[in-house]
Amino acid sequence: MYAFLTGPMLWLSFAIFVIGCAWRVVKYVKGLSWQLDRVPYGYYRELAWKGALKSIFHWITPYGSRSWRFKPLYAAAFFLLHIGLVIVPLFLFAHVMLVSERFGISWPTLPAGLADALTILALAAGAFILLRRFALPEVRIITTPHDLWIMAISLAPLLTGFVAAHQAGEGNGWLLAHIVTGEIWLVAIPFTKLSHVVLFFCSRAQIGVDFGVKRGGQRGRGIVW
Amino acid sequence: MPEGIYCNKTPITTEEALKALLSDTRGTKYYAEMEQLEVDREKLWATIQKTFKSRMQTWLDVCARCGLCADSCFLYLVNDRNPEQVPSYKIHSTLGEIIKRKGDVDGAFMRHAMEVAWSRCTCCNRCAQFCPHGIDIGVMMGYTRGLLYSQGFVPWELKIGAGMHRVYRAQMDVTTEDWVETCEWMAEEQQDDWPGLEIPVDKEDADIMYTCNAREPKHYPEDLAEAAILFHIAGENWTVPSEGWEQTSLSMFAGDWEACKLQVQTVYAAIERLRPKRVVGTECGHAHRATVVEGPYWAGRPDGQPPAPYIHYVQWVAEALREGKLKIDPAKRIKQPVTYQDSCNYIRNWGLAETAREILSYIVEPGYLVEMTPNKEYNYCCGGGGGFNGIGKFRPMRNKALLTKRDQILATGAKLVIAPCHNCWDAIRDLEEEYHIHIDWSFLKPLLLKMVIVPEHLLPKDEDSEE
Repeated sequence: MYAFLTGPMLWLSFAIFVIGCAWRVVKYVKGLSWQLDRVPYGYYRELAWKGALKSIFHWITPYGSRSWRFKPLYAAAFFLLHIGLVIVPLFLFAHVMLVSERFGISWPTLPAGLADALTILALAAGAFILLRRFALPEVRIITTPHDLWIMAISLAPLLTGFVAAHQAGEGNGWLLAHIVTGEIWLVAIPFTKLSHVVLFFCSRAQIGVDFGVKRGGQRGRGIVW
Repeated sequence: MPEGIYCNKTPITTEEALKALLSDTRGTKYYAEMEQLEVDREKLWATIQKTFKSRMQTWLDVCARCGLCADSCFLYLVNDRNPEQVPSYKIHSTLGEIIKRKGDVDGAFMRHAMEVAWSRCTCCNRCAQFCPHGIDIGVMMGYTRGLLYSQGFVPWELKIGAGMHRVYRAQMDVTTEDWVETCEWMAEEQQDDWPGLEIPVDKEDADIMYTCNAREPKHYPEDLAEAAILFHIAGENWTVPSEGWEQTSLSMFAGDWEACKLQVQTVYAAIERLRPKRVVGTECGHAHRATVVEGPYWAGRPDGQPPAPYIHYVQWVAEALREGKLKIDPAKRIKQPVTYQDSCNYIRNWGLAETAREILSYIVEPGYLVEMTPNKEYNYCCGGGGGFNGIGKFRPMRNKALLTKRDQILATGAKLVIAPCHNCWDAIRDLEEEYHIHIDWSFLKPLLLKMVIVPEHLLPKDEDSEE
């Protein structure tokens, strides 16, 4: 079971994740239409790149956009959740060790205490975002079951991983659960709202080009957020 | 497919049809017929499949439903934070639903969608600045309006407005003759005070071609005279086209994309015919958006540019002041608390916030400018944008929407609001009439005329000394 989950199933999950994401990006780019979108994609390359990169940069920087500054608590939850989901798994000692053993490549890792703290903070942030969904009428009205599933799929690997890491020699139930939920998460990314893993960059770049080239970028003040 | 005599899926293309629809006072019969109007579901879905591309699909798909757009929307705020006014909700419950059901929606749904599209969104695009994914609900609402229009579910006034553009190539029934006569009449009227002043029609290869809003020749031709006087003082070599002078597009508000194309092509044809070095548009936000920001795409110009550089009036004024073509008498600068209304269409969607401030630095005595909060690119819509001002059916909602601007203005303590946009100007006039906060409002032209230094050689000669 363990061998299957960490062997073929893991490869399959990664393949679905990578190919699926690539497919989403290709489909996005192919579906852009300069005339319908009213953006001259093929012109003003320099302004376009500037607009796209600036837009992405300001939104992946904590408090880098006016909107993030306007909602400091939500922004904190957002960044903690995403650090826990993206940064921690990539730099977790246990994960890097696995790669190192199999492929002989490795990179710097997070101190165990920091990884633990970030995981707990991410879980707390996830719980906060879920509670907020029900607490605030303006978020409740737009919440769908899909949003709850997405949160469950995203938090499950964090929770199971955390427990597995702290469980001393009590069988491998939690570890298996961590691997399974991690694989579910990877597979779900291209097919659900989690596709924003790549589509966020597409969509932000697009609006960055729109504002940067067409809606004000040529008048010297750069992007309007 | 029962379609009404007044309310149907056919655009207005003749003067007779236009007059017939106009004769239906306040659209009473039109809206009664709309109750029976059926949806052509196949056509609706076919249109969507052709035009609903990955940008909007992705916007709907990845919306994280985080609600950060809520507070960005002045209609949400001014309507007591009603969750149904959350931008994300507004689009998902209309366009999102149409897409989800593959166009299988009924008349009642479309009538509701019409109300949302025209009375709960002014397409001001402010939400786009607050969405982590960069989702622009205003753009999607514009698209939704197009779908609704194509099925006949459009407010009466905007069906007429789009029809006006189709019939007259102007938002009002101003014909070429009317327009040219107005130009001659206005030039004549100014002759005593401004000897040599002309409104040259169809002059080729001029430095500037001027375009305006049909309401100017129709209802306040003095605006045209003021533009002429300021060009005269600045010594500009300018002209107006006999055809292609109308820069606005109510068809854009209506979602009648075909009429948008017809309208803007008329202006571009004038540019190509007269070959001006550049074009200056009047003080109007949506006119600028229609002819300069979006128009090139309707007309199929892949670089997104009109045939000649095309600037908004504030750009011309700022340049004229900067270069000394217009000089302000320091004694006549505004010396009372004054504020500036940033229009969505040429500030947020064209980046002229600083250009407008540059003008203010010349015409307002330091210390008297009080900025609204928020301002510049983050300013709220005047309350009447996107066609909202002109729709009788939604007047109560529009009046409520004006409260945002009223309170912003009150908070500045200013008694004068400078609003170089027809739509904002109207909204501020209406809010004064509705709520009596004792303010004045003005375009730039009359203000500039009051304080500009007139060069000696342009003044009328004293008759005695001439003899």
